[in-house]
Amino acid sequence: MDFLDYVQLSTGQRFVYKLKSFFLGIPGAISKLFTIIGHFFASFFGMIVNGFKGYGSRFANGDGGTKLSYIIMGAGNILHKQIGKGLIFLAAEVAYFAFLFGFGMNYVSEIFCNNVNIPVTDPNTGTVAYAAYNGVIGNESPVYQDNEFGVPELLNSDTLDDSNKILLFSVLTLIVTIAFIAIYVANTKSAYASQKIVESGKKPVGLVAELKTFLDERFHVTLLSIPTVLLLIFTVLPIVYTIFIAFTNYDKNHQPPGKLYWWVGFDNFATVFYSNPLTSQTFGRILLWTIIWAVFATFSNYILGIVLALMINKKGIKFKGFWRTMFVITAAVPQFVTLLVMRILLDDKGAINNMLGTNIPFLTDTTGLWPYVTVILVNMWVGIPYTMLISSGLLMNIPEDLYESARIDGANAFQQFTKITFPYIFFVTTPYLITSFVGNINNFNVIYFLTAGGPVADGYDRSGRTDLLVTWLYKLTINNSDFNLAAVIGILVFVICAAGSLITFNMSKASKNEEEFS
Amino acid sequence: MTNTQNTMKTGYAAKRQAANIAIYIILTVMVIVWLFPIVWLILRSFSADGAYNAIFPSNWTFDNYIRLFNDYDAAGNPISQEDMPFPYGTWILNTFIVAVCSAVVSTLIILMISYAFSRLRFKSRKALLNCGLILGMFPGFMSMAATYSIMEIFGLKQSLVGLVIVYSAGAGLGYQVSKGFFDTIPRSLDEAAKIDGATRNQIFWVIILPLSKPIIVYTALTTFLSPWADYIFVSYFMKANKENWTVAVGLYNMLDNEHIGRYFTVFCAGAVLIAIPITILFIIMQRFYVAGVTGGAVKG
Amino acid sequence: MVRKTKRVLALALTAMMATSALAGCAGGSDGGTQNSSQAPTGNNSATTSGGDVVSDVSVVDVDSDSVKQKLISAIASEAAKTNNEIKITLWCSSDDRSFEKKLVEDFKKEYASDQYTLDVDVNSSYGEDKAGGKIIESPGDGADVFNMADDQISTLVTAGAIAKVGDIFKGNVVANNTEDSVSACTVNGTTYAYPKTSDNGYFMYYDKRVFGDDEVGNLDEMIKKASENGKSVYLNVTGPWYMTGFFFTAGCDITYDVTTDTQVATFNTPEGLKAAKAICHISESEGKGFSGTPGTLGDNAYVQQGFEDGTLAAAVIGTWEGPVIKAAIGEENVGAAKLPTVLMDGKQEQLHSFGGYKVVGVNTHSQYPTTSHILAYYLTKESSQLSRYNERGLIPTNNKALEDETVNADPARKAIQEQAPYAHQQGTSVGGTYWAVNPQTVGTEAISNKGNLSDDKLNEILKNIVTQIDSAKKS
Repeated sequence: MDFLDYVQLSTGQRFVYKLKSFFLGIPGAISKLFTIIGHFFASFFGMIVNGFKGYGSRFANGDGGTKLSYIIMGAGNILHKQIGKGLIFLAAEVAYFAFLFGFGMNYVSEIFCNNVNIPVTDPNTGTVAYAAYNGVIGNESPVYQDNEFGVPELLNSDTLDDSNKILLFSVLTLIVTIAFIAIYVANTKSAYASQKIVESGKKPVGLVAELKTFLDERFHVTLLSIPTVLLLIFTVLPIVYTIFIAFTNYDKNHQPPGKLYWWVGFDNFATVFYSNPLTSQTFGRILLWTIIWAVFATFSNYILGIVLALMINKKGIKFKGFWRTMFVITAAVPQFVTLLVMRILLDDKGAINNMLGTNIPFLTDTTGLWPYVTVILVNMWVGIPYTMLISSGLLMNIPEDLYESARIDGANAFQQFTKITFPYIFFVTTPYLITSFVGNINNFNVIYFLTAGGPVADGYDRSGRTDLLVTWLYKLTINNSDFNLAAVIGILVFVICAAGSLITFNMSKASKNEEEFS
Repeated sequence: MTNTQNTMKTGYAAKRQAANIAIYIILTVMVIVWLFPIVWLILRSFSADGAYNAIFPSNWTFDNYIRLFNDYDAAGNPISQEDMPFPYGTWILNTFIVAVCSAVVSTLIILMISYAFSRLRFKSRKALLNCGLILGMFPGFMSMAATYSIMEIFGLKQSLVGLVIVYSAGAGLGYQVSKGFFDTIPRSLDEAAKIDGATRNQIFWVIILPLSKPIIVYTALTTFLSPWADYIFVSYFMKANKENWTVAVGLYNMLDNEHIGRYFTVFCAGAVLIAIPITILFIIMQRFYVAGVTGGAVKG
Repeated sequence: MVRKTKRVLALALTAMMATSALAGCAGGSDGGTQNSSQAPTGNNSATTSGGDVVSDVSVVDVDSDSVKQKLISAIASEAAKTNNEIKITLWCSSDDRSFEKKLVEDFKKEYASDQYTLDVDVNSSYGEDKAGGKIIESPGDGADVFNMADDQISTLVTAGAIAKVGDIFKGNVVANNTEDSVSACTVNGTTYAYPKTSDNGYFMYYDKRVFGDDEVGNLDEMIKKASENGKSVYLNVTGPWYMTGFFFTAGCDITYDVTTDTQVATFNTPEGLKAAKAICHISESEGKGFSGTPGTLGDNAYVQQGFEDGTLAAAVIGTWEGPVIKAAIGEENVGAAKLPTVLMDGKQEQLHSFGGYKVVGVNTHSQYPTTSHILAYYLTKESSQLSRYNERGLIPTNNKALEDETVNADPARKAIQEQAPYAHQQGTSVGGTYWAVNPQTVGTEAISNKGNLSDDKLNEILKNIVTQIDSAKKS
């Protein structure tokens, strides 16, 4: 259907069409997701290949200095009279190897240990046998010995292994190594470049002049280096670490530093998907509710927020500022406060039931729809003022003469809305809509503070009826210490968020976001 | 003829009048619904009884506010400052320090990133943008445990400095809004400055930043507000170090099974106290907020 | 040339990685690990096999001057490792903090020496319900000494985060505390914690203006009477702790073995169905003289509120709510009794319960283990338990302290004693997985459906609970 066909449809047909294309878009979006991930890796490896391009030929054509810099970094630059730059490269090399042998190797070397004795209990007899396991992370468990008072003392507190730290710091070492390789390749390039300059008889650029480029041609490096380092350490490193955790048995029975954990392959994915029926049933239910929640929460807030803004901004309505402020107050009070207040108000015996003289199980109903309805309504209470605020600002921006000419053409209020107001608001707020959709899939606060995932009901593994994937993830980590299952769910949440936002991206061709996935 | 026109006009006016009255009624009802929980919170904070299912206090008191700063135990004996189970004053101060510091650092970081992505063109730009998008889709607290261990190596676990660093590092991913804003500033400004011999560094500080007041305010505002509401990460990061808790963790703890009996109304008072300045701040700054979210479509 | 260098470089790198990798793993695996005890029991000569409490340990008079001097020198040698300064952390609930601080001051005086400075940080961030979990979350950051409920011991032992009671104190602990309290702290013959109070179980508080002392024996009749007075009887069937009592009553097998981490709960049996039907039976009265759920706010807030506004006439809860209830309806109106009987399978049966203790544990990762154990011992010895009763109203576990007249006259103490034959030990009944899998679904479903659940549905719910428990134990 092209655009011309589309405009001829009635509003209802358009809605059906949109809905249809939304659901038809899901498989496409998912396959697109994989294409994008493929692209991502392709470009990633492309970058690596590009980085190494000419690595060999530079060596072949390089003079002694350049060749030397393949082993001693910065040598080429120093010999080609770029002493400052060369020293920096050299310092980087020294620092890296100091890091590697002083720190990183201690951990990397223990990432996959064999012949470690792990106590294994026979479930029938209860006897404990020590079995050799392959792929244990670390190998030295705590050793205790009684002192003269019969008090157990930890003998090896300095040398005992902590699987967490080994895994985490191995990932850190990996990241540092990748960064170092990038610097290393840059070093060979720089050595060769300086060689060429010297050969052409020019004077190589001095360190000061080179540093100046970081304020101009290479200003992006200056701007992005600190944030990138912070992101690498505090976002990328934890994420990679958590992805690895999904392939270990780091759960309540294998808690470092008291115990070690080891690699178990895809066992945890099996648990979530099929090997434990209750867990997979729970996963299915929670996934379904997460999606229903995200759709309802996003669009109810969005549409009703716009409607509210229209009412307030309608011509002839007085005290616009007053109305707006009243609603903004609720948006301004910190969310965890208002949500906790709502939880107390909506309690079975809380103030609202008390006031109405009813006994409505707003948050505790295990069979009916009450908890779902309640969380969506409360979320509207929390979210509508935001949408109202934003769309109010936008409404005032729409040029009045657009409406004027529409009125002359005989358009009624509803037509003005569908032809002018809504398209304009929709166009501008699409990015907002997408972020709030992804935000709602990950909407931890509303659920955690309002219901804590409850009510607990039959057929939910360590969770309750209103749990979203993220709150379930939180419960598995914090309450049950099943970090491995939590990591699996974390990865799945990511996949869902990515797919969800892609669908929305696809839907809204109006998206003016230039950085749409390529 | 004139007659019908008149009736039509009055009919139209009457209809509009009716519509307006309906809207007034709807708005009034909605405002009542929307404000009820807030009003209830305020009423409870002045209540001498600890009931959570009542609305109006049986006896009015200012005691709950005093107890935030000078608490007494169940028997009525005053508790010394250092023994306060809920050192609210300390928590407010902690949160304020963290909020201000992380607002300053985060704003700087976000502006740097968004300027680079918006105005500068370089080889790995597209790849980095995609990375940013992908990283943003992982649930944030998945990484709490790892972050804690990392802070442990730096000797910054359970410290306010550590909290500021984590917040600022995380803020880096929130560059989209301000990048959207920078995209709207005409590139001809840069070109003209470049012709005049300005470096990109100078363009950033002298030309772009002064034009970016709304987005600076927006970024600072959102990053300032977030520590006031963050419970999950702080409670994991600060653990038992009560002295370094922020106000959200402290208030949440007042409501657990162990304390709610004696501290419910104190919680209300504490919540009202932090809500007041934040609400005022938000109301004053709301136009910047709108400008920010709509990517500059509405000028602040 | 190029190729060659590359290859050499690659080879060198691989070799480097490989050798260090081998070196790293080989280091510890030659022998050491076989001996390393996974659970920190150390070489406990006094341990016997089986779950019995060890009674043949010699009682050392820890408070005698000679032993005290020895302990002080032990503290000194621990302090020597850290500039003669010791700083240990004690976790307790915030209500207890000022009292525990006083005890700690006495402790510091008792074991003072000019060889070291002794500092104890009394921290009330995590109460007795959360302490164990928080210690497991990251033992290295946990307190050296912590107060907790006894049901956390088994999980702590599994995680290797709690140290056994020092041999020198063990004789004392075993000889001077009630047998049950010591066995609650004992896992597979090893005692892991110092018993402190004996009131971590529940019984029933009631309003004497509504119920005569002879009218609190039968739950159905209580509900009827409360209903006539426009009030309710509160028994939280949506809380796993209280709900499990019905299954004990029906004779279900609920046991936990810490060595194998095996939780048994035979809910999917005819007995389990009886218990579930008994829960359904009283749930029919929900809102009509009976209240079976605290909503979303927790027991304590609910009971306090209920007695304050007069909607509750009786509540199944523990001593910690005693002061609040007394404040709400006046001390003279508060009665305490064992749990009532419930209608089960057509007969009135005495309702069973969990009995429990609050205990003091020592973190295995403590930097100052001996000092920590001395503190734990000090906090739980007879004199400390008595003053804890006098100041905080918490019932002791120490035999001599229990003989004290005021303790004996305490109505709550009497109620606990009467309930004792029907109270089950948490440590031997349930482990961490039991709480984690939400066994209370049978209660929440019963309340939500006003007791109107078919046998098939109940069987399905019970089967799901058991499946969850079974699947949670896989290691």
